[in-house]
Amino acid sequence: METMVRMGELAISDTPGDVLVSLGLGSCIGLALVDKRAGVAGLAHIVLPATTGTPKPEAMNKFADHAVPALVDGMVERGASRMFLQASLVGGASMFAGTASKTLEVGSRNAVAVREQIARRRVPVVAEAVGGSRGRTVRVDVTSGTVSVREAGGTEEVLAA
Amino acid sequence: MSIEYTDVQLDALRELANIGSGKASTALSMLLGRAVDISVPKAHALSFADAVEAAGDHEQEVTGIVLGIVGDLDGVVLLLITPEDADTVCEILGVEPGSEYAPSALGEVANIVGSSYINALAEMTGMAIEPTPPATATDMLGAIVESVLAGQAHAGDVALMLDSELAVEGSDCSIAFMLVPSEDGVGELLERLGLG
Repeated sequence: METMVRMGELAISDTPGDVLVSLGLGSCIGLALVDKRAGVAGLAHIVLPATTGTPKPEAMNKFADHAVPALVDGMVERGASRMFLQASLVGGASMFAGTASKTLEVGSRNAVAVREQIARRRVPVVAEAVGGSRGRTVRVDVTSGTVSVREAGGTEEVLAA
Repeated sequence: MSIEYTDVQLDALRELANIGSGKASTALSMLLGRAVDISVPKAHALSFADAVEAAGDHEQEVTGIVLGIVGDLDGVVLLLITPEDADTVCEILGVEPGSEYAPSALGEVANIVGSSYINALAEMTGMAIEPTPPATATDMLGAIVESVLAGQAHAGDVALMLDSELAVEGSDCSIAFMLVPSEDGVGELLERLGLG
């Protein structure tokens, strides 16, 4: 079954056959974590680098500083081993390159924040499809632990197997 | 911080959008030399995820042109047009579709349409606001809309989208139009309307 992981959402699965999907990532980052031995995979659709103000609990996973630890802890709770976690980063594009508005340049700041958070949890990043100016769709296959990416106008390619 | 809007507030915002898109359609009509119809604007207060969903098929290819708003109101105007309709607009303007001039022609259309919308807002609310130059991207709809929303995001998880559609008569071509104020921007708009 395909589970859509929408903006600011996070999903973890250990059900064989499940596929976690974020469609059309722009400046957002899709952070995929897999533990192939345990057959657990997770995906967070991260919107912003750091929490601002006092968001409602259900909005917390928008932010890298909350979503990354929540995803790592959630994976471990579902039976993944922290030692065998592998991370892939997808997205963080700058869709409107050259725009005067700095608020639209969130993509690269998101990538920096997610890398920092993931390094703090000592999870290795095995693959990245980050930056540039194209939107991307990411799929995480729970059974195989395969992460695949499709860029706008392109075909689906395996990013991490 | 949780933000909810009342029906009265949404109605008032919809009315703003209505007048704004009326001005925008006049500008587009003069530019293209064709009659332009506007749809009844919709005001959505949605979670981010639902807002992207409401825009349409995530992976559909569209051209998005974004104009920032600076001054008393923080926000953006986003115009969305399918590649086919973008070609039609170029043809009407006498620019070869897909040529190197096409993106700047579309940017200019968005600039004129978006600016008249923003000017109408300024007149109605008494706010000093100006558009920033347009930026154009042709990509997945979801990627374009989420990037625009992310740029406006603050603590809340509610995106306010005021959208309408401009349809060019006799050409089967339309431009969707969205005003996405930042959360602070919505409060400011409502306050100016006496509904804060």
